Amino acid sequence: MVRSFKQSKKSQTPSKHKKISTSLQDNIQESKQLFSYGVNKDFAMRTIQIHFNKKDACLFYYSSIVNGPMINLHVIKPLLERSGESVNNVVSIENIEEVDNFEKIIQNINSGKIILLIDGDDTAYAMDVADFAHRNISITENENTIKGPQEAFTESLNSNISLIRKQLHNNHLINEGVQTGERSKNEVNLVYIKDLVNEDILENVRSRLEQIATDNVRNIEILEQYIEERPYSLIPTVLYTEKPDKASSYLEDGFIILLMDSSSACLIVPVTFWSFFHSPEDRYLRFFYGNFTRAIRLFCFYLTLLISASYVAISNFHSEMIPPDLLLAITASRERVPFPLIVEVLIMEIAFELIREAGLRIPNPLGPTIGIVGALILGQAAVQANIISPIIVIVAALSGLSSFALADININFTVRLMRFIFILAAGAFGMLALTGAFLLFFMYAASIKSFGIPFFSPMSPHFLSSEDTVFRKPIKKEIFRPNYLHPKDVQKKSK
Amino acid sequence: MQNKGFLRLKEILAMTLILVGIKLSDSTPALMAQKAQNGFWLIPLLSFICILPSFLIMLYLLKKYQDKNIVELLESLTGKWIGKCVGILLFIFAFLTLTLDSRNYIEQIKLLYFPESPTDLIYFVFIAVVFIGAKKGIEVIGFTSWITLFTIKAAFVLVLILIYGDIVVQRIFPIFGASLPVVLSEGVKKAGIFAELFFLLIAYQSAKRTSMFRKGILLASIIVLLEITIFYFVYASVFDYNSIKKIQFPFHDITQYINLGNFLTNIETIFMIFWLFAAFIKFIIFIYITTWIFGEIFAIRNFEPLLLPFSFLVIIIGLSPFNSVINELVFRETLLTIMSPFFIIFPFVLWIIAWGKGDLKQ
Amino acid sequence: MKKKLLIVLGFVILLAGCNDRIELEQQSYVIAIGIDNTDQKGVYAFTYQIANPEVGSSAIQSGPDEPPTEIVTVNGADILTATYTANSFVSKKITLDHTRIIIASEEAARSEDFLRVIQSASRTPQIRRGVQLVISKESATDFINNNEPIMEKRPHKYYQFMLSRANQTGIIPRATLHRFFQITEGDADLFLAIYATTDQSDEKKNERGFEDQYIAGEIPQIGGSPTQFMGSAVFKEGQMIDILNGEESRIAQTLDNTLEMGDYLATIPDPLMPEYRISYEYSQKQKPSININYHKDKPTEIDVKVHFQAEIIAIPSLIGYTQNKDKQKVLEESIIQRLEEKTNTLIKKSQEEYRSDPFYWSLYIRKHFKDVKSYEKADWHKKIYPNAKINVTYYIDKLEFGKMLDDSHLDEVRD
Repeated sequence: MVRSFKQSKKSQTPSKHKKISTSLQDNIQESKQLFSYGVNKDFAMRTIQIHFNKKDACLFYYSSIVNGPMINLHVIKPLLERSGESVNNVVSIENIEEVDNFEKIIQNINSGKIILLIDGDDTAYAMDVADFAHRNISITENENTIKGPQEAFTESLNSNISLIRKQLHNNHLINEGVQTGERSKNEVNLVYIKDLVNEDILENVRSRLEQIATDNVRNIEILEQYIEERPYSLIPTVLYTEKPDKASSYLEDGFIILLMDSSSACLIVPVTFWSFFHSPEDRYLRFFYGNFTRAIRLFCFYLTLLISASYVAISNFHSEMIPPDLLLAITASRERVPFPLIVEVLIMEIAFELIREAGLRIPNPLGPTIGIVGALILGQAAVQANIISPIIVIVAALSGLSSFALADININFTVRLMRFIFILAAGAFGMLALTGAFLLFFMYAASIKSFGIPFFSPMSPHFLSSEDTVFRKPIKKEIFRPNYLHPKDVQKKSK
Repeated sequence: MQNKGFLRLKEILAMTLILVGIKLSDSTPALMAQKAQNGFWLIPLLSFICILPSFLIMLYLLKKYQDKNIVELLESLTGKWIGKCVGILLFIFAFLTLTLDSRNYIEQIKLLYFPESPTDLIYFVFIAVVFIGAKKGIEVIGFTSWITLFTIKAAFVLVLILIYGDIVVQRIFPIFGASLPVVLSEGVKKAGIFAELFFLLIAYQSAKRTSMFRKGILLASIIVLLEITIFYFVYASVFDYNSIKKIQFPFHDITQYINLGNFLTNIETIFMIFWLFAAFIKFIIFIYITTWIFGEIFAIRNFEPLLLPFSFLVIIIGLSPFNSVINELVFRETLLTIMSPFFIIFPFVLWIIAWGKGDLKQ
Repeated sequence: MKKKLLIVLGFVILLAGCNDRIELEQQSYVIAIGIDNTDQKGVYAFTYQIANPEVGSSAIQSGPDEPPTEIVTVNGADILTATYTANSFVSKKITLDHTRIIIASEEAARSEDFLRVIQSASRTPQIRRGVQLVISKESATDFINNNEPIMEKRPHKYYQFMLSRANQTGIIPRATLHRFFQITEGDADLFLAIYATTDQSDEKKNERGFEDQYIAGEIPQIGGSPTQFMGSAVFKEGQMIDILNGEESRIAQTLDNTLEMGDYLATIPDPLMPEYRISYEYSQKQKPSININYHKDKPTEIDVKVHFQAEIIAIPSLIGYTQNKDKQKVLEESIIQRLEEKTNTLIKKSQEEYRSDPFYWSLYIRKHFKDVKSYEKADWHKKIYPNAKINVTYYIDKLEFGKMLDDSHLDEVRD
């Protein structure tokens, strides 16, 4: 089925591979048809007579994605006025490419170039005057840091690369383009440091990009789902970040970055558990401060994942463990609550997720309302109406609050979803099931491989590395790059 | 199976430590104290001394016959059919130890934490977790062991610290408990408690280099011996010689006894979590290597699908003893007594055969 | 198919898991258990003191008349089965996990079958080995019912504070079930349980006693809670045989290396003006050293050395001990002499009357034997201890006089 669709698509556009003919009129005709000239409002065509060889010529471009004044100043004006020998000499555009078929023409026009066709010439000249509309570089919104660079990626490839190059002045920093998509040819840019990156991993990434057989890969977020290994897994295998400083620190260690023109973020592959756990600020802060935040984050990890489940397990199965004062307090507050404890916990957890989701989608001016309503519903009112007991509010608030400490959105979702599984397990068989479920989750995570890299390396299996796992060493003592990537140069600092 | 040589010394060490080390928390001490009274803490030492030469011989033979695991070694030394028979004996030992031990652990969980749930159900849940865990393969088991090892051992050390105030060292006297001959003979008879070390030899090829495996398992067995002896010493000094016999699970009695100040008085559940981790991992390793031995004997390279039937078999056979006391004091005792001479003597026989064949001179 | 099966299995487990699942509010938490004899052999009256969670909780306003505890008494064969009988009038499942103390009446403790009933406590994991054993003069039911703490309404708090403080001062021993079983099953020494009473009606007030020479019930008291914890009940082979007063309990704990005791205040008659008493704080920084020379055919020698420190708190006689070396010497000697005298009396009593020791000294003779058989044959509490030559020596390491250099001089004040 799919195959036949594909073929039918191809047969609709037979002229795609057609060579450019020497006749300008034929070419104009062909182009007009390809780009639906006249219907397509922003497709512009302009015929001129070239000064230096007195021939007719024609320019094609999308007026919406090119820089108008630049065309006038650097393309049209020189062609009309200046004398010289060839187009390359006359036109003052940095990047001129010669193309000889219509497929390339389509590609170039789509990516914001202007095409020059000259009568009697069977090559066309593609000149880069692209000016896609994009935001300016703004500060990070989702991965905030106090100490450290504030710039975030924006929806422009050039700006993004420039942000990275600003931090890595290295001639081996390569920005390689790979085309994906069949109808819409979008370019994915692989960024890596040539004399560090492991060729096998690079080849693996390239082949995955090439294997994507779909009409259109719009942006990085879609791409992430095309290149990951296990779409049904709860555990992410690609790191997503909007911070150029984070990206460049990974580049330095031999990781590979994927960028696209249409996303204000990048993908980092391969990943380990630690890449989700770490935040760039851990390294910007001094040794003890950074490790302190790590410890807090580890604790938050536990709280989000397991506090509700532990509460269910302990109070439903192991009440002997609760100190008598607390036990009596909880019992007293639960005496008039109509639901079993596990239902209570689930109600609160779901309520928290509701507020979170609603708070995210709510239009900005309404923002403060949600806080008030949420606090009222969750806190005071529900307790007073004896729907839930006060201690549950504390538990749910703790688990909800600590989930924000896990800044990475992927791991955040993992943890939030696993939380419910753990609550159910704890409700089924107390600590026995909870421990079992956690162990299996852990073993599953240990069995995950991202681009061939075990998820818990370099802790186990052990590899030479800077030993930056739960805690990090002082920067001066970090000598090696992570060897699980098998970089070409493992030593990052002389001893 | 999915061996890509990621296992190193650390992981081998961790697996051995968890597989054998958790013996300190089941009812093995009670089993030993039945006859030896408060001298039972000497038994692991004696057993280890008995079994160490045999174990070293096995390691030596494996080193000589490179690229073989224990079953292949048996077959190449004693011939295909005798080798297979001995292999089956080894498998039966492993499987019975696995089954009887698992029943013992289920009883601990049931008696102490889930008194009203049916044994079958706890068994089922427990083995289900073990089965799914074992499915992940030896490497993941190794990683998991290493990463969890620290927390598990930390919990055990915490138990030691908290019980410290209640230790009365003089209770270990009279030093030989029931009498020296009893302790000595028990020491030899119970050498089978280290049988797991032999079962683990099936994974000889799984490490990145076999020298890592040898070092790992030897180092681990020494640490394990220390651990077990320290804990048995603690049991003997916390409980008097008449009381220790009566206590089926001294570890849990101790965790129930200790407290963290006046606020947290019943903290056994905290230790139960780490103990459960250790127990799960122990049986994951155990069922994996048992199935592996079976697979090797019958040349089933892809033995992992066999884990499911074996898991069921463990539940069914494990449920058959009438109660935990019979399981412990009759079946396990008998099994240990049978296994001990086998593991002490058999490696020597193999060595003599190898020597006779002249293979050792290369 | 496989997935559906798994889901079904999952639900089975979820539903079946309910076996042990119990909501917090469906349980009653027992804080104290009382054991009394009944007329029938093998049947005991068990009293359970159940905490009322609503009292003292800020979340729920309880009625002002609601009592902090519910006390129920039922007859039964052992502690656990009686809880099920009690469920005929207690609405929730009775949970023993939070039990702090077990109270047995003196009558029950003195009966031969006491070990049988207390043994059942060790079989269930619900009762911890850390639970303390208290012997009450009256019946345990009366004790629990009369016990009305004034400040700490919540019973577990009351028992916890009461026992830990009284234990620190040494007037009652630390008497956990663990220790009870170890000593009783070891079958050599005497076990000391806490002695307490709420019974003050009786005329036998000991008006002449000093700070620790009482047993519970004898202390003249005005105001406060009627419950007195003082002294210890002596158990031999699982059966109560006698009562020690507070002072004797302190001495017993001083000489027992397995028990911890804090500092305590005591008085002695002023050696120079016997009508006044000098108060001092006794503190023991190191454990006594106990040396046993075992002789098979002649009396064993037990040599005990106790090092302690004393700090003088009050000298009502206003004699200038502080700056006079000779007088200090006299004071030192009289403290030591008094301690030794009291100790020797206790030891004598234990050798002749109890024929065993309350100090857990059998531990120190064990290393003279190679195996249990010969140790049991030598028989500590029948042969060795009653005939042993025991020599206890006290050494005073430090005598401090607190922050005052000198007392006020009476003759100068009354000038």
